[in-house]
Amino acid sequence: MLDVALVLASSGCWFAGALVSASPRAPERLATGLGLLGSILALGAALHLLLGGTASGLDFRVWGLPARLELDALSAAFLLPLHLVGGLGLIYGQRYWPVQLAWGSGRSLRFFYGLLVAAMTLLFLARHGLVFLVAWELMAVSAFFLVGSEHEKPEVRRASWIYLACTHTGTLLLTAMVILLARRSGGLLWRVLPAATSPWLEGGILLLAVMGFGFKAGLLPLHFWLPSAHASAPSHVSAILSAVMLKAGVYGILRVSSLLPGIPRGVGGALLALGALTALYGVGNALAQRDYKRLLAYSSIENLGVIAMGVGLGWTGRATHDPWLMALGFGGAIFHVWNHALFKSLLFYGAGALLHATGTRDMEALGGLARRMPRTALAVFPAVLAVAALPPFNAFLSEWFLYRGLFASLGRGYPWSAALGLVALALAGGLAAVAFARFFGTLFLGSPRSELADHAHDPAGSMLLPMAVLAGLCLAVGLGAFLLLPLLDRVIAVVAPGTPALLAAGLRVDFHLLAGVELGLLALVGAGLAWLRRSAEAPAADLPTWDCGYAAAVARAQYTGSSFADAWAPVQPGLRARRPRLRGLFPGGSSFRQAFREPVGEVLLEPRVVRVAERLLRFRRFQQGHLPIYILYVLLTLLGAFLWMLLRGRLLG
Amino acid sequence: MLPAMLQFLLHGLTVLLLPPLLPGLIAKTKALMAGRKGPPVLQLYYDLAKLARKRAVFSRTTTWVFLAGPVGGVAAVLVASCLVPFGHTPAPVSFQGDVILFAYLFGLARFLTILSALDTGSSFEGMGAAREATFSALAEPALFLGFAALAKANASLSLGTMLAFPGSLTARFTGPLILILAGWVIVYLVENSRIPVDDPNTHLELTMIHEVMVLDHSGRPFALVLYGASLKLLVLGALILTPALPRAPQAWQNWLAFYAALAGLAVGVGLVESSMARFRMTKVPQFLVAGVLATAFAFLLMLV
Repeated sequence: MLDVALVLASSGCWFAGALVSASPRAPERLATGLGLLGSILALGAALHLLLGGTASGLDFRVWGLPARLELDALSAAFLLPLHLVGGLGLIYGQRYWPVQLAWGSGRSLRFFYGLLVAAMTLLFLARHGLVFLVAWELMAVSAFFLVGSEHEKPEVRRASWIYLACTHTGTLLLTAMVILLARRSGGLLWRVLPAATSPWLEGGILLLAVMGFGFKAGLLPLHFWLPSAHASAPSHVSAILSAVMLKAGVYGILRVSSLLPGIPRGVGGALLALGALTALYGVGNALAQRDYKRLLAYSSIENLGVIAMGVGLGWTGRATHDPWLMALGFGGAIFHVWNHALFKSLLFYGAGALLHATGTRDMEALGGLARRMPRTALAVFPAVLAVAALPPFNAFLSEWFLYRGLFASLGRGYPWSAALGLVALALAGGLAAVAFARFFGTLFLGSPRSELADHAHDPAGSMLLPMAVLAGLCLAVGLGAFLLLPLLDRVIAVVAPGTPALLAAGLRVDFHLLAGVELGLLALVGAGLAWLRRSAEAPAADLPTWDCGYAAAVARAQYTGSSFADAWAPVQPGLRARRPRLRGLFPGGSSFRQAFREPVGEVLLEPRVVRVAERLLRFRRFQQGHLPIYILYVLLTLLGAFLWMLLRGRLLG
Repeated sequence: MLPAMLQFLLHGLTVLLLPPLLPGLIAKTKALMAGRKGPPVLQLYYDLAKLARKRAVFSRTTTWVFLAGPVGGVAAVLVASCLVPFGHTPAPVSFQGDVILFAYLFGLARFLTILSALDTGSSFEGMGAAREATFSALAEPALFLGFAALAKANASLSLGTMLAFPGSLTARFTGPLILILAGWVIVYLVENSRIPVDDPNTHLELTMIHEVMVLDHSGRPFALVLYGASLKLLVLGALILTPALPRAPQAWQNWLAFYAALAGLAVGVGLVESSMARFRMTKVPQFLVAGVLATAFAFLLMLV
């Protein structure tokens, strides 16, 4: 009871903070303080619950109908990243997007940021179809205004409109799902359903959930709104969108499937395959991006694919009543939700620091920033290793879970999906390493490719602090993951009711050994660095790179990000290149152009959508802009409805 | 039987002291095949001792990332060496799922090497880094499919039991095992930048992969790079030798068999290098895909 009240109070704090910051001459300290207080309350309650508290609920009535808010382990698991990233983003945003700016509106940004966090807090508590949908819409609409913060730019407006259209299509599907669910359980309250009566209804609910929530989570054909929206939003907003809002889709899928009495066979394998495709697609396109924020957005698609693979594995386990598979699949998915929230928000904060310092999102204009922004480089480095799933950082462990789950399902009658998943995960990991070697190498290493990068400098302390916290957490989770196993067990018990706690008992030894090996790695790195430090004299100062003896090396001759990933260009459907044909011994001047268009959104869908929209123009004549005519429409509709009600009995007998 | 502690000590000493011998053996084989006398087998030990005393030169564009490559590379492979059994001898650290850690530690070493190459801002080193990144991403599925086939064969996820399981040489597993090893030998050649994928002795930077990434390293960092490369020869060598070795009743026999096989592997690499030329760069991905296919077929054979 106390826990859920605390989380409600936290939502209230964020809402109050949003209202305060919307008022003219807003006292920023007060608004920030309220938000941070809300975060601390919610984090405390969520941790308390995960560490051993019992789920608590709050019953009330909406229009005379019973409704319920409840805090259980699954809600708590998603409240943790929300309030961590939400609170840190509040600190980060103060200097990143000051209130008194000539461009954009700092006030509306703060208002909708607070509203977004408040709405999502409510969303994770809701156990009632209507409350859930209202919170979902509040979240979606505040995200729309956040994405459109720089609405004077046409590409930002475009991105936010596409986002709005997609999120509403998703809501439409979710509304249908809520209605079906209400039909099945006989009320809008969400509780665990009794044993199956009609598999079709349950299949329909599951399908609608995967599609509706998949729009938010960026699963494969429904991901196309995501890259431009995340690239256009202010960086700390991109962080919370990527770290938490996409996960709201995962939360929805997990929540709704936990209500169902069983999962049909084969659905898990299908989701696993979809996740694998999404992961490969996301990372393949991340390789092609010149805009570093868009690169991060595509990497989010990859990671959501990995999470979906975990959920699919867990569903396979549920369908076959295999608790070990459920533990590894769901555990991996939820663990990856946490890890992705940590490293991706860190990467977006880093990207924001770069944007702040240089004013460009074009990787090829930057370079050598590790010398000019050493603290930013040091803070981003753990995230770069984590996103490539490399030890000793956190994401390695969640992928380790998935590998174990896939290997386990090899021996249990699912060799095909397991083999596909293994290859996809291995390849996605390898490609993520390429993409982020390119990211870090092009932005931070080498020498600056333009004036913009030459004068960059580290951001203010209030922007560095959130990054340092997240970097520390990436390493701490990587080393101390055995402490998290009991927490994951509690979450899994909610996702798949009736599962015994397996992870804490089954993986403790493995995780201790893993942590030991990783500590050994860190110790060896320390020893190696100490040995290098001890080499006798100070190194000779100020020498150029040897570069095979070429004396006049210029920054432009460096490998660019595009050339680094050029080998993969043939398999990237969105990348169009015009290569010049050079003829003869002394060819004249020529140029090379490369452009990226989102394969599904821009290449496949957009021309068709535009064509349909043109057809729909003929309905324009109904839209007269005169109030009396609209009243007439309302009247006619009402009349039609009455007639239908009168005649229905006669017509249908 | 040797006591476990003694075996672990032997494991550690092998990892620390033996690796520089392997490049020497390869070079000697190549020299003898070409009718030359060649450098002494212990040449790399002399080189390392010399480099450890030399002063390092750093370019003005480099940062701490430049050192992360050599240090992280050696550290990651040293840690990985604790997970792999040397023939039919116990691995010092062994747990379910260590095979994934093993693969990703190599990924870490590679990632840091690539970053330290990009840190110099040299176009040659960027080129090498791009090639290394591309080829290693293709090698990853071959490694994992091989692991999947072995995991299917003996329901274990620990390198210690996966590689050295008793039934590995029975008729049932011979076919898959040959395919796995064929795929892994390709991975071995790629990871160790050997002919026909890469030529460590070429003198044209445009054609190099691995060597070109370390052009700017000198002194102690370069000593670490060279030592790390020889360590990779040993650790990945243990990966592909162990499943092929018969199990002997006595521990000392197993150790001797492993050392003999390792020497044989080095000589074999030298023979391959003497008998063929490096592939054109565009052929390398096809070679790697052949490795992926071999392990994929091994996996299919395990399913039926």
